[in-house]
Amino acid sequence: MQDYLEIRDPVHGFIYRESHERDLIDTKVFQRLRSLHQLALAHLVYPGATHTRFDHSLGAFHIAGGLAKTLVQSETERRLIRLATLLHDVGHGPFSHVSEPILQAHSSKTVFVEEQESKIHEVITAKIILENAELREHLSDRERQNIVGLLSGKFGHSFLHDIVSGPIDADKQDYLLRDSYFTGVKYGIYDQDRLRNTLRVYEDNDDLVLAISIDGLHTLEQFVLAKYYMTTQVYRHRIRLITDCMIERAISLGIEQDKIGWLKALYSYDGTDEFIQEYLQWNDERLTNEVLHQKDSLVKDLFDRLRKRHLFKCIFDVDQNDFPDPSTRSFVFAGSKDFYKPLEEQVAKQFGFDQNHVIAYGVTFNSATKTESQVPVLHKTKTTLFDDESALFKSVDQKIREQHFHIYAPVEYKGDEKQKRKKHREYKEAILKMIQTLANPQHELPLA
Amino acid sequence: MKPTDFLLCLIDASGGKVQGRTLLQKRAFFVTELIGEDFGLKFDAHYYGPYSPTVEGTTTQLKNLGFLQESNTGFGILSEGFEVRRYDYSLTEDGQKLLERLRASPEYGIVKGATDRVLAAGNPNYVELSIAAKAYFLLKKKEGGSMSVAELIKQAEKYNWSISPESIHRAVGFLSSVGLATER
Repeated sequence: MQDYLEIRDPVHGFIYRESHERDLIDTKVFQRLRSLHQLALAHLVYPGATHTRFDHSLGAFHIAGGLAKTLVQSETERRLIRLATLLHDVGHGPFSHVSEPILQAHSSKTVFVEEQESKIHEVITAKIILENAELREHLSDRERQNIVGLLSGKFGHSFLHDIVSGPIDADKQDYLLRDSYFTGVKYGIYDQDRLRNTLRVYEDNDDLVLAISIDGLHTLEQFVLAKYYMTTQVYRHRIRLITDCMIERAISLGIEQDKIGWLKALYSYDGTDEFIQEYLQWNDERLTNEVLHQKDSLVKDLFDRLRKRHLFKCIFDVDQNDFPDPSTRSFVFAGSKDFYKPLEEQVAKQFGFDQNHVIAYGVTFNSATKTESQVPVLHKTKTTLFDDESALFKSVDQKIREQHFHIYAPVEYKGDEKQKRKKHREYKEAILKMIQTLANPQHELPLA
Repeated sequence: MKPTDFLLCLIDASGGKVQGRTLLQKRAFFVTELIGEDFGLKFDAHYYGPYSPTVEGTTTQLKNLGFLQESNTGFGILSEGFEVRRYDYSLTEDGQKLLERLRASPEYGIVKGATDRVLAAGNPNYVELSIAAKAYFLLKKKEGGSMSVAELIKQAEKYNWSISPESIHRAVGFLSSVGLATER
């Protein structure tokens, strides 16, 4: 008889796990996820958003288990899917995704090549799964290799990978519901039961891919809408973007200007076991506490601000419509980020800000991300693709990919709303001019 | 060259417009194969043959930025597995202005040269390019890269691809013309 154990979860009800899965959940490496907030400092905007990578990993594991039960024949593969989803986030660092660009900037390029598709937390996750002593006690060598293969898309048919990492994977299926629940934003809700029950495995050339029955078309549309609303309302909420940028800037200053050795070491992945051992000792709270003890440091100054919710403000928010000149538009939204630093310097100089406290940020998307567009939709007598079938996918996808460019700075507005708007216009006119000069150093162009 | 610049150059070299996103995907695939560089497009074997999410994402980006215009026409269900709605892409006036700068770069010449080779090889439509892509996939997969037309048809059946001998002949003809295969 199977030894099933249950965990009560506010999103999914009871989550059942077997004894070998409980052993993994009880490892230090997994328990550490309790101390990594799922949405970094989003609780400064949505006070309920204090949920963690631990809750999310269990939720994604639960959903993956349900999908595997419906779609996967092989018991071994079902087990692998559950384990891979359970462990998919163990490589996250303090403040989760906020750590990513800093790790990318400071890690050894010999162990992490930016051109590779993997994000660095995925590289670290793989390293932990393969080599962590505790995990080795509970998983065979082959199983650990297969889990890493499954997470990176190198094991078995595509649909197995699609369940753990793809446009409609268990990860997204959980985080939309969970983030929606904990932020209190109701837009992330979709019919998860219906989605699971209408997903199918479809033979595509010599591969098996995840597809959806035509009966699930509207459920998938609901899922796409949920993703869109959560992106605009939560993931790209202005305050959330500001707090994420402030954390990233603080850590970068701590490494580059305060020259804090342990901080640099924490963000310099070199592929060694020593790095991983140390990395696993860190979480959101410890990092915050340690930097707050760094007297007279730039990193402490910014973390102090975050702790007191004394946040920077957005002084410049533009989209493509603000740049009538095509080459300037392309320069800002389709070019490299090399102009961010000189622009920050100019803004700081003109308006009297500390240069370290001016942050240029492009609200962009990864154009290589696979969307739901190519999910085959299975009719009785034919197969089509989701974006041909769905009346709303294309417009939602286009909207979700809209780009903005922001500048954040430590401003204090004095006076009424009218004066604030006047100040904003002043910032906008001046910064647009700076950008146009940076984009076209030979000649100045007319303003928008 | 960034994916945005590559796609703008490809569309410009195609006469300023491409009819159908499947055609855009396949043409981009063959042009990158001919050049021997993928420009970050990372093509995958997919439902309709080679597919790049980056081509899809970058096209949307270029459209959002006002450099490409998209229009679509409904054609109903042509046959199982092929698109029912054709999305056409053309350069806008702003896209044309950006091209003025790009045309001066050596990369533009490389992309144009490869695009011209594809167009000169009979300017295949998206169905023909899709079949050619599948045939190319099978040839690349085969050890030694050599296969008779009969073998190709047999292999295609193995993958449940319904391809007629005439289509395979046209596909092989195209691959030979652009220099990606040799007919013996």
